[in-house]
Amino acid sequence: MPRILGSAILSAAMALPGLIPSAHADSAPESGIISLRYLSYRDKQPGLDRITVSAPSLYILFPVGREWAFSGSRVMDSVSGASSRYHSSISGASRMHDTRQANDFNATRYFERATLSIGAANSTEHDYKSEAVNVTGTVSSEDNNTTWTLGFGNTNDSINPVNNIVVNEKKHTRDYLLGLSQVLTPNDIVQASMTYANGHGYFNDPYKMVDNRPRDRSQSAILAKWNHYLEGDSVLQSSCRYYWDNYGIRGDTLALNWVKPLSNGVTVSPSVRYHTQSAANFYYDPVYDPLLGAPFPLGFLSNPTGFYSPDQRLSAFGAITAGFKISKSMAGGWEADMRADYYQQKSGWRWFAKGSPGLEKLTAIILQLGLSKKF
Amino acid sequence: MSIPVNEPECRTAFVAMGSDCEVCLAAASRHAIDEAAIAAIKEVIRIEEKYSRYRNDSVVAAINRNAGLDAVAIDTETAYLLNYMGTLFQASSGLFDATSGILRHAWNFKDCVIPTEEQLQRLLPLIGWQHVDLNVGTVKLRLDGMELDFGGVGKEYAADRAANILKERGITSGFVNLGGDISVVGPRPDGTPWIFGIRHPRNPNETIASVAATSGALATSGDYERFFDLGGMRYCHILDPRTGHPVTAWRSISIIAPLAVAAGSYATIAMLKQGDALTWLEESDVAYIAMDQAGCVYSRP
Amino acid sequence: MKLVAFAFSGAVLVCTGCTGLKPVQPWEKGNLAKPAMTFETDPLEARFMEHIYSSKESVSGGSGVGGGGCGCN
Repeated sequence: MPRILGSAILSAAMALPGLIPSAHADSAPESGIISLRYLSYRDKQPGLDRITVSAPSLYILFPVGREWAFSGSRVMDSVSGASSRYHSSISGASRMHDTRQANDFNATRYFERATLSIGAANSTEHDYKSEAVNVTGTVSSEDNNTTWTLGFGNTNDSINPVNNIVVNEKKHTRDYLLGLSQVLTPNDIVQASMTYANGHGYFNDPYKMVDNRPRDRSQSAILAKWNHYLEGDSVLQSSCRYYWDNYGIRGDTLALNWVKPLSNGVTVSPSVRYHTQSAANFYYDPVYDPLLGAPFPLGFLSNPTGFYSPDQRLSAFGAITAGFKISKSMAGGWEADMRADYYQQKSGWRWFAKGSPGLEKLTAIILQLGLSKKF
Repeated sequence: MSIPVNEPECRTAFVAMGSDCEVCLAAASRHAIDEAAIAAIKEVIRIEEKYSRYRNDSVVAAINRNAGLDAVAIDTETAYLLNYMGTLFQASSGLFDATSGILRHAWNFKDCVIPTEEQLQRLLPLIGWQHVDLNVGTVKLRLDGMELDFGGVGKEYAADRAANILKERGITSGFVNLGGDISVVGPRPDGTPWIFGIRHPRNPNETIASVAATSGALATSGDYERFFDLGGMRYCHILDPRTGHPVTAWRSISIIAPLAVAAGSYATIAMLKQGDALTWLEESDVAYIAMDQAGCVYSRP
Repeated sequence: MKLVAFAFSGAVLVCTGCTGLKPVQPWEKGNLAKPAMTFETDPLEARFMEHIYSSKESVSGGSGVGGGGCGCN
């Protein structure tokens, strides 16, 4: 016999008809939420502590009546450390310190079986500014088992690197989303979505040497998610994504997350994620021109204006994340959580193919603390 | 059983589901109070008639008549309730079983007779939620002679439904009390909580605790509702579906929860859990007030 | 894995119109109503993880539009 927790009785009772004042099928959240979250990120490569990020953030969700909800968030990133100038070379590392402030605002209108939301976001660093707007709509079937999502976003970035290698460069991106979620059984719900982003402008990393990338980039992704309710009141969330772009990168990402409620409001969720990708077709391996030496690629002299990048993120590799989250909900609508993730990127972990040679592995530790209150 | 301590002027008393009931509410005029109270009472009567096992024209009677024969068409509300009782069966590891009402054929609380083991053994094979075939729009009891019973949830469900009818009519102050199972509509007119006393299981004129509530619900399961005493033992109407015998560990367990139907289910299952009741309630994160057979009171706020 | 993603999405599309699966009824949705069964997660947590991955893997997309870029390298 499948065993479920006693706490499931209350949620089952809530589902009975006519016990709580009726609402629209699609209606604004019943309570608002204010949440604080702190992120600490640290990565390193053998012999070099690279980037440290600490980021406090604030999120507020404010429903107005049954038909409107407003939300906003603010993140303050503080980034410091060393960024390699090409490949994973330690000697070429440049020290840096930067702060980033990102805000976003979103308004959602709820209809009988549909929602429409508009949002705006900005992000400011001393050398990089980004402004974005987006609109997303959903429509659900009469039985609420099927939901379609359509979204559009527009982003304008301006880039002013401190080394003045370029001045007031621009990047303009439009992205589109089509999604479908479907209830399959009383214990299964799936979602498939596809995004397409088309950008024009400056895609180079201004702080990397010999970095020249095409000024057009189109990126497509198909993401499929599946949430499955398991005996014993736990939920298994799985997802897979296939990605491709005009740089020649193909990526596969698989993620599994198990959400298991224990007693007394405590929930634990262990998670794993695997990502693998091929290299961009203009990424060059750390094999340098015999005359010019590092970081210039072989054949650079015969084609000095070609596309080249030594950026490790454009190389072929595999990456694994193992994570664990514990959260506790308390009286008065309070909830606290802690999450830790260990991330490692290695060219040898590429799936069914060889990774890019000559690169050091990258390791990161990600810690998060969260506190929220419903009101 | 719980008794409202403050005697309000807004009280409309009635008898339903074999219990003393009342709707208590505040509104702008006597006329508005009466109209709302009548709507709430009508809802209670509707549920009583629909799910009574004593009426030949009830949904339950139709399902039970076709036990071992045919699937019976059911409406949405009945499907919801059956599905909920299936959840209770699972969450209680089989202790809450809506087919265990058949044991009343062996237990006669009026004549104070303990049934023979043979009598019980004849009935036990007919108990088992796993023999209930619940499909979209139909239900079937697989075994000939099986009986389904909504008694375990009907009263509390009716209390919540009636309270919700008052809320949807704009009533913001009041409560519905069906034989001690209470669903609160809203605080007293001055915003202060209602105070409900929890009856002493052995002395109807005494309370063991009082509960203040501005919303939510309170329900009690006790060994004093239908029972007989024989040879120093109390035999009550809460029967273990595995053995057919009454539970004995607790005199009463009261639960405070957002809905009366949930509170009542927690209370009944806790009585059936006997020695494991308090651990289970703690794990389920539920507030309770319980009295054991020695008269000791345990509570969790 | 590419095939898995496509087959999965295809299955979702087919199932909207398919007759083989019984539509789930409102009273069977107790489990589906649990927060962990929805696709909405903690917005700050989700954004942090997405931000980190998109800045370490130069692969992104699938979950939303117009979130705003950054020069995070």
